[in-house]
Amino acid sequence: MKNRLSPYYPLLPVFVAYFALFLVGRNVEGTWQLVATLLFYCALGQAFNIFLGMTGYVDFGYVAFLGVGTYGMAIAITGLANFPQLGLGIVAIGFVLAIIMATLLSTAVGAVALRLRGAYFAIATIGVNEGFRFLIEGANLWNGSSGMIFTAQLNEILGRDLASRVMTLWADILVLFIGALAAVVTLLYMKSKIGYALTALREDEDAAKVMGINVTKYKITAFITSASFAGTVGAAAWALKTPYVFPPEVFEIHYTIEAIIIVMLGGAGTLLGPLVGALIYGVSKYYLSIFLPGVQLFIFALVIIFVIVTFPEGVVGVIKRKTRNTAIGQYII
Amino acid sequence: MLLEQLSGNLIQGVVLGAVYGMATMGLSLIFGVLKVVNVGHGAFVMVGAFVTLFFFSSLGLNPFIAIPAAFLVGILLGLAFYYAAIKKLLNAPELATLLATFSAGVLLEETVKMIFGSEYRGFNWDVGKVDLIVTALPMSKIFAALGSVAIALLLYVWFKRTRAGSAMRSVVEDSHGARVCGVNVDGVYAMSFALGIGLTVASGVLLTMFIPVGINPYMGGGYTLKAFVIAVLGGLSSPYGAFFGGLVFGLIENTSYTLFAFIPGVEPFSLTRFLSFLILLIILLIRPTGIIKAK
Repeated sequence: MKNRLSPYYPLLPVFVAYFALFLVGRNVEGTWQLVATLLFYCALGQAFNIFLGMTGYVDFGYVAFLGVGTYGMAIAITGLANFPQLGLGIVAIGFVLAIIMATLLSTAVGAVALRLRGAYFAIATIGVNEGFRFLIEGANLWNGSSGMIFTAQLNEILGRDLASRVMTLWADILVLFIGALAAVVTLLYMKSKIGYALTALREDEDAAKVMGINVTKYKITAFITSASFAGTVGAAAWALKTPYVFPPEVFEIHYTIEAIIIVMLGGAGTLLGPLVGALIYGVSKYYLSIFLPGVQLFIFALVIIFVIVTFPEGVVGVIKRKTRNTAIGQYII
Repeated sequence: MLLEQLSGNLIQGVVLGAVYGMATMGLSLIFGVLKVVNVGHGAFVMVGAFVTLFFFSSLGLNPFIAIPAAFLVGILLGLAFYYAAIKKLLNAPELATLLATFSAGVLLEETVKMIFGSEYRGFNWDVGKVDLIVTALPMSKIFAALGSVAIALLLYVWFKRTRAGSAMRSVVEDSHGARVCGVNVDGVYAMSFALGIGLTVASGVLLTMFIPVGINPYMGGGYTLKAFVIAVLGGLSSPYGAFFGGLVFGLIENTSYTLFAFIPGVEPFSLTRFLSFLILLIILLIRPTGIIKAK
């Protein structure tokens, strides 16, 4: 039986997973930090997937968008520290600024690089995070290499109690909502013209062009969407949770590597993939750091090569294939 | 004063540029033949630096003996990686080889970190200096530049004079045509990949002459970016284009560093690295097929 809502069924497992994570974190003693990390990975993967999953293009400088998002929040809080009457409005302004900055950077990079094919795009992006970091440090933008610390300003605007609750709880919950919203947008894109256009592009870019699809337009749309979500993730998970920002930390390529692991492991281009990938990666990283500290990247680099060679569609991709035309199938895309 | 400094930097730039060029030839060779972008390029350079460190600090040998050793290490790494992953991914979407080479880079970094630790190391190979009036050049750097030119020439002769070399050139021109004419295209792919990685690892030996205390498992990232700027300058698929691209880039880097140093309140080192990224974007914007046309 089909109804009007059936295209949105696949969101159900996503929401259930987020709700379960939240319940576990709030009710099981000592798990909130782990849950917060998992929520961060979920949101990172979900945001990254909008671009990589839908276009098949890799952005090796993705962390730059989290970085500028962090700066957006930092600039809002330090710049408006003299207006305590703003209260929580400051957080909203910070998010808007984070989105604007991520959008500007992604438009600049996308406008140049997305006119080109996959390989050239990857080459263009590999320097984005380093390039931007060195611009900030080199030209002494926003305090240059000494970074910004704005705990005091946050305390001043929000009051000590509220500020500490924002840092320890609300920042993580915001990350949860960002991840869930990114999932909704992913599904909306999948079900709309842009999703079909990008599928055509992923399969055969020349054929898609010949069919009259403006591939560049759709690539840029997906790129900017993905980048804006990354900006908000940076603003919430980094700037609000730990109110300081240092260029080498927020432009660290490590996070791009993690985003790639999460999306590829879970299944690029699937809705559930980033969530599954984030949970597998986050939990195993947590235990690896206890039992075999310092080797998690080594192991995951091997895992990713293995995944690419043997099942490039990822865990969810495989499940999706196995459950097609079954009752469970309609919940998994 | 400025002129003297600039001309001194010009010489330094050419010397460094020759090594940069050689360090990018492997990247261009692999892209030219296999159409695979080696995103883990810098990590292979790093392996070469550690081979040199091992030869010089642990065995007390001349760093130049490390070149053939590093080349051999690279050939073996290249073959292993080619048969383990790349071969199976040649017909997959571009995404697959991009992510595979990227992961291989991470794997190398983490492996070296586990063996040698992540602190910065270095060595100083002191074989005197040459005074060139405007600047003083350590002999070790001159040797590195000469070594780069020699390797580039060897590669040129190999391409022009050997059967394997012409087989490679034919695959670059038209892999289907080459296959029809009886060229073992799969063999050429394996050989080119191994040769490309061999050259890249060997270039790591030469680059250590320019970084007295900069050897670290994560040193490769910067070289990956530079190598892409250089490769794109030279048109991405031509090793000779890459070599000349390296010379140009060495000059740009040294000149801009000198000029940025005159602007108060900025960090010339960081701005120079930002500039290399900007150059990359500009070339991709105006001429993605390369500025330098080398046959």
